Amino acid sequence: MSTLVKIKIDEKEYEVPRGRYLLAICQENGIPIPTLCHHESVEPWGGCRLCVVEFRKKRWDSWWTELATACLYPAEDGLCVWTRSEKVMKARRTILDLLLARCPGSEVITKIAAEHGVYQTSFAKREGEDNCILCGLCTRVCDRVGARAIATALRGALKEVSTPFGEPPPDCLGCLSCAHVCPTHTIGHTEADGKRTVWGRTFELVRCSGCGAASVTREQVEYAVRTKNLSPEYFVKCDACKRRESAATFAGLLFDERKGGEGPVGPTGSGPSHE
Amino acid sequence: MKTPDLTKLDTILERHEAAERSLIQVLQDVQKEYRYLPREAFEKVGRHCGVSVARVYSTATFYKAFSLVPQGEKLVRVCAGTACHVRGAGLLLDELERALSLEPGKTSPDGKITLKTVNCVGACAMAPCVMIDGEAHGNVKPGEVVTLVKGGRRDAAAD
Amino acid sequence: MQRLTSPDALEKLRAELAGKRQAIKKTVFVCCGPGCLANGSRKIADAIGLQMEKQKVDASVGYRRCTTGCHGFCEQGPLVIVQPGDIFYCKVKPSDAATIVERTVKGDELVERLLYLDPGTKQRCKAFTEIPFYAKQTRVALARIGTLDPTDLGNAIASGGYASLAKALFTMKPDQVIDLVDRSGLRGKGGGGFLTGRKWRSCVKAPGDRRYVICNGDEGDPGAFMDRATMEGDPHCVIEGMIIGAYAVGSHEGYVYVREEYPLAVEYMQLGVDEARKAGLLGDNILGSDFSFDIKISRGGGAFVCGESSALMRSVEGKVGEPRAKYIHSVERGLWDQPTVLNNVETWATVPVIVQKGVDWFRSMGTKGSPGTKAFSLSGQVRNTGLIEVPMGVTLREVIFGIGGGLFKRRTFKAVQTGGPSGGCLPEDKLDLAVDFDELTRAGSMMGSGGMIVMDDRACMVDVARYFTAFLVDESCGKCVPCREGTKQLLALLTDITHGNATEDHLARIEALAATIMQASLCALGKSAPNPVLSTLKQFRQEYLSHIEKKRCPAGVCKPLTRFVIDEETCTGCGLCLKACPVDAIRGEKKKPHTIEPSKCITCAACREVCPVDAVEVAS
Repeated sequence: MSTLVKIKIDEKEYEVPRGRYLLAICQENGIPIPTLCHHESVEPWGGCRLCVVEFRKKRWDSWWTELATACLYPAEDGLCVWTRSEKVMKARRTILDLLLARCPGSEVITKIAAEHGVYQTSFAKREGEDNCILCGLCTRVCDRVGARAIATALRGALKEVSTPFGEPPPDCLGCLSCAHVCPTHTIGHTEADGKRTVWGRTFELVRCSGCGAASVTREQVEYAVRTKNLSPEYFVKCDACKRRESAATFAGLLFDERKGGEGPVGPTGSGPSHE
Repeated sequence: MKTPDLTKLDTILERHEAAERSLIQVLQDVQKEYRYLPREAFEKVGRHCGVSVARVYSTATFYKAFSLVPQGEKLVRVCAGTACHVRGAGLLLDELERALSLEPGKTSPDGKITLKTVNCVGACAMAPCVMIDGEAHGNVKPGEVVTLVKGGRRDAAAD
Repeated sequence: MQRLTSPDALEKLRAELAGKRQAIKKTVFVCCGPGCLANGSRKIADAIGLQMEKQKVDASVGYRRCTTGCHGFCEQGPLVIVQPGDIFYCKVKPSDAATIVERTVKGDELVERLLYLDPGTKQRCKAFTEIPFYAKQTRVALARIGTLDPTDLGNAIASGGYASLAKALFTMKPDQVIDLVDRSGLRGKGGGGFLTGRKWRSCVKAPGDRRYVICNGDEGDPGAFMDRATMEGDPHCVIEGMIIGAYAVGSHEGYVYVREEYPLAVEYMQLGVDEARKAGLLGDNILGSDFSFDIKISRGGGAFVCGESSALMRSVEGKVGEPRAKYIHSVERGLWDQPTVLNNVETWATVPVIVQKGVDWFRSMGTKGSPGTKAFSLSGQVRNTGLIEVPMGVTLREVIFGIGGGLFKRRTFKAVQTGGPSGGCLPEDKLDLAVDFDELTRAGSMMGSGGMIVMDDRACMVDVARYFTAFLVDESCGKCVPCREGTKQLLALLTDITHGNATEDHLARIEALAATIMQASLCALGKSAPNPVLSTLKQFRQEYLSHIEKKRCPAGVCKPLTRFVIDEETCTGCGLCLKACPVDAIRGEKKKPHTIEPSKCITCAACREVCPVDAVEVAS
């Protein structure tokens, strides 16, 4: 059981578990905090700095007020936080101004910037077509999935998300987790004729024996079988078909019951239930 | 580019614990042995250290000590530290770029010479400083830097 | 070397070595520090060795040649010191070896022409202790550097090495060691100036399975070489400090993180660790005690950001050097998430001296807030470049003009840069500032690790700011937006100024951007990245305005804003500039004023560098 501590956010008191990150607390209490590099499936990272808040606390002998990222700041007793102070809004505006200069074509960034009163960048625009803001979500999610196929390359102003040597990544599963978490939708991928292409690599999709729909790659199936101890049978049919089948089984059982059969039995023959 | 002889890689890997913490140390030794990081070595290095090829690539490109392309037989590094900067390292670099027709960071087409800048070699008292294959030369003047790099003696050189 | 299994065995060995040393008639020390090496001192060491053999004054008859780490006075290098007598020869050439050996080693004469000529008194100094450069220093961390062979553990032991370790291990409890360091007021000398004792205590209090100690030898600050000199000159004082620290906090595993650009430091630290282990000073049951501790050398891959503690720890773990947010201090959750004490080379090197000589002695030097001494590498446009150590609280003037000997002929002081890319430039009116952690920070710069670069009237402050910003754009790890994108845009704004494309609102835009970079960046690199710009902007605003409004670089550094002319009245027509010009842009007859052809001139400043009468000027 974690201890509860009293903190103040925007002059209002809250009782929260010690050590819980401020961003989570704010989200739970409906206090809006913008963020671009945070996702519940991975550890907080503190890269985009958009979730900065101003806080005041006692350090050694004196009081300090400073900006800190809400995603990484743990709640402690007596903490005072302001989420929309002038200092906070100024920093967020400059950060959005910088991001807008980095990807002037991004609709997502343009929208958030406009919400903060930044309608165009005051800085020199970057040349380049992609809208990558280097939030690191794709690489962190890829690590989390276990593929570890992409990572950042280089550093500083030249930093980029890259596959090894910029070539089709050997460890990629084609699962598209990276593309789904990308806040600026900049990871391009296509799907056609039972094939999926992402990061310059084309994957063959496994077709459902029931409906013929293609949803997972062969590499994903192999990876899940290898690391998650799933039977290859599990992937023979797609989730939709499995659901349909189990519904039919269930309906059949009910029908049998009405006819005076045995009691209801759980669905069978479709492997472990999904989710 | 011909495939490098990777037999020495095993000897390097044997010297280092099979753990993530060895990654940078292994890459240092590979760089020293081959004067670059041959891409053929990445998978093996990754496997030894328990990290993916993407992580090896990420590390190899993050740190300045590593190079993905073979370095020239002679490595010339002009120190761009603060003391060297205020004592005219820029002039030395301009002069070398002109004389060797090379941009910093590039290797001559014949593979003989690589020109680079380095952030500081700690010979600040002797600024400006040029490192040629690991040997430091202090108080280098624009008029003598080309001769020095080409292997000649400096006018003011000791002895 | 035999394995030492008790403090008595160590003392016995020390006595034995001291006895052997007494029997030595003369020792020739050849400085092989960073500066002297760059001046070819290895050749001199070889030549002296050869001559000693040839002239039959070698080891077999009680003479000794010793290559040492940095003796300090790099400007006068290569240096050769003959003991006894503190005889100091400077600017030695290999061809001087025969004479030195014949007259000073074999005989008892001095080689007059190799003695240091004091420009103040116009007298030759016989002993280095008479030279103002040395006389004004107080050496604590650097005390043994330059007096011993860094590759020989016996040398270190004979000079008192590991006595403090024995004292700590056998007469003090770990907590007493922390208490001692705490009371001494020793502050981390890597830049932050955090109280070392307090840091150690936090580490002990933090929960964890293991504790680590790390020595930060990354020294990424361009223009600083104190740590290199220490690791290459006296590795055992660093190792001893680390063992004492490990004992105090209860750590059994330590790392020395050295940058790969310092191959000799890597080699000597590794050798030192191996030798110490063989002698029972590292490893299991150190000196026969219950305490075990070992050190590994970790070679950095070349990244300035790895001087930041959390990035350094990631690098030791084999990862990319990206810092972590420090809302939980690395002393509580550091290397592999365990409590970790990280101190820099100089701090570790100071620990044994404090254990040996005590708190009162240490506090008798320096200021109240910053006791003790600090090593600096003095470089740039100053006469006496080199490695120095002074009590905290001396003035910048004393360092630059007293020890440093002031600027070169006809040049005037403009600024001194301290703190590297995280620090700032201080102008003339700050010269009487007492140098300590707090005063420098208050003045808008910082101590940093101890680089001190003197700049004269030919340095452009906008160019210096641009130089550091370009450095940081390259060295930012790229993880967070304000640092990665912000420094890039800061550089673009500064480049506009140095290229003459700036408008009047550039300075305001720079200041606004700088504020966000400082407040919102993730780590100390970003938070301090605008310092070089802000400090120069504060102290040298006029120079920025000249670039922006008059499109003129007064120092003649920013090429698009500089046009050189030769002052007719001053020019003596000596022709040196004509010879130096790489593009034949200078015309003039001998003994008559020369002129520069503007259409040909590439503003390389070669003419200005060679002109003996400063006739080459920046056109107004």
